[in-house]
Amino acid sequence: MASDTNNIYKPLQATLEEVIEESPLIKTFVLIPDEEFVFKTGQFIELAVDGVGEAPFTPSSSPLVTDRLEVTVMKTGYVTGIMHELKPGAVMGIRGPYGRGYPISEFNGKEVLILGGGCGLAPIRSLLFALEHMKDDLEKVMLCYGSKTPADCIYKPLFSRLNSIDKFEAYRTVDVTDDDWDGPVGVATALLDQVKVKIENSVAVVCGPPIMMKFGTIRLLEMGYRDDQIYLSMEKNMSCGLGKCGHCMMGEFFVCKDGPVFTYREIKHNPEIWK
Amino acid sequence: MYYISIKKEDWHRSLEKLLTSHDIFVPVKDEYSLDYEPFRLNQADHIAYNLPKPATPLKNFFLPVRENVTSARDKVRPRIIIGVPNCDIEALGLLDEIYLDEAFADPFYRNRRKSTILISSDCFSVNEHCHCTSYGVKPYTTDHADMVLLSDGDEIFLRVISGKGEELVRQLSSASGVSDPVRLRFADERHRETEALLAERNRGLPDYTTTGEIVRKANDHIWVKYASKCVSCGACTTICPTCSCFLLIDKPDFEKVKQTDACQYPGFQRVAGGEDALFELRHRFRNRYMCKYVWRPQKFKSLACTGCGRCIEACIGKISKNELFMELI
Repeated sequence: MASDTNNIYKPLQATLEEVIEESPLIKTFVLIPDEEFVFKTGQFIELAVDGVGEAPFTPSSSPLVTDRLEVTVMKTGYVTGIMHELKPGAVMGIRGPYGRGYPISEFNGKEVLILGGGCGLAPIRSLLFALEHMKDDLEKVMLCYGSKTPADCIYKPLFSRLNSIDKFEAYRTVDVTDDDWDGPVGVATALLDQVKVKIENSVAVVCGPPIMMKFGTIRLLEMGYRDDQIYLSMEKNMSCGLGKCGHCMMGEFFVCKDGPVFTYREIKHNPEIWK
Repeated sequence: MYYISIKKEDWHRSLEKLLTSHDIFVPVKDEYSLDYEPFRLNQADHIAYNLPKPATPLKNFFLPVRENVTSARDKVRPRIIIGVPNCDIEALGLLDEIYLDEAFADPFYRNRRKSTILISSDCFSVNEHCHCTSYGVKPYTTDHADMVLLSDGDEIFLRVISGKGEELVRQLSSASGVSDPVRLRFADERHRETEALLAERNRGLPDYTTTGEIVRKANDHIWVKYASKCVSCGACTTICPTCSCFLLIDKPDFEKVKQTDACQYPGFQRVAGGEDALFELRHRFRNRYMCKYVWRPQKFKSLACTGCGRCIEACIGKISKNELFMELI
């Protein structure tokens, strides 16, 4: 008999404690799982709306917190549309954590340059929590983040908080400005010109929409980053999370199991990666 | 590995007895096709041993088209599947790598594998599109099944391979060991005949174990040309003994239904934001070849085709991957 404990398809249940509106299209769901939930930053989960469907998300909360979990969700399709209607008290399903997250122990002694766009800041926020915890072992952490408009920027208080932490710097830009914005205008990659980074002792992390991942990677290579210093968090249709269903195949990789975090060196031979 | 022999009549009587504890499937031939059917003693005359591939690929016994994968099950009733050709036995090896993967073993697949005795059968003839040998796969097995059946007149020989096979032999009261190798000479002759037939029929086919690079480098025009006859029906993947992609469908109370899916269907790789790497049919068409000949061999022990030829028979667009490869090499 297949008991629940060894059934890879069975979700853990979690109660929705709070829904935080981050931007017109993005909400953060604060979940209290029925059991302790341990994950590594950069790993993802399958979050389910009961009877409706599930979708892959990388938690945006700290990997050091195991009794609550935050997942930031952009309303972009059928399942996420229904998620956005959920109210506190709703019971959701969680499977995971799955895949390979950020190898943060390898970041020891280094400068970490993070390039993020749009909802890509969700996994990055989790990474930032982990990096903050190990900041004594890091040289510097720089975040360059772009959103479409000032209103589309998520976790706004995060930026001033980061700038107040020793060794942390955060930069923001927007594609399209509004009356209240007096910061830089342009794509996130342009912010890379502002940071002072010792590339030879640095790693770069890129997470955002596919187009930003592509041009961000190209820019980082131009700056002198080696392909194995660039970490990409790939977005594919991770459906089972178990390296079986085939939906997230990217060349020879199951993104759900071999990724979602890859170095550019590991995947650059595959022309399919930016599709 | 050793051989035993048993009179066909006694073999069928033994199977009848085993029905009290096992489900038993045998290859039955009618005027249309050869396929597995539940064993019945009074229909034993219709059992056709040592013919090439049954219509149903072996995977269907282990990966149902649709099943609830969150409900607990009672113990699976033990099964004996008789007459499995080696192309399907080899294909099961790839499914094992995926579904018995150490990190995430599929409990339903694992239970079915554990409770199934596989009795392969050497192929003593070939079908129109059989081409296992061009994949380095023999039309008979000496290692990957529990037993192998060879029918010779009114006698059945069993090549006993695994512990599960030995256990079954203990339940065959009228079986005897085969000590005289002369009695097995017919098997060698049959193997040689089948391999000669395959070689003759498939003259000019590439050595498929080395075609990965050719597929990877293939010019787009080959995919455009062959995809122009494809209608994305997915028959090739449905009938393929190694294709095993699936979809998880959510049901109330956090239940999940696992249903077969395929990269040939539109939307297979579409993400919520709308990006879809396999939006165009020719990309989906190419994906199947890349998966089988380039990516799976990089990731697993073997490439994801064993030359059964079912996809060629099933294609309503009359696409033959053998023709495609002949054009590529």
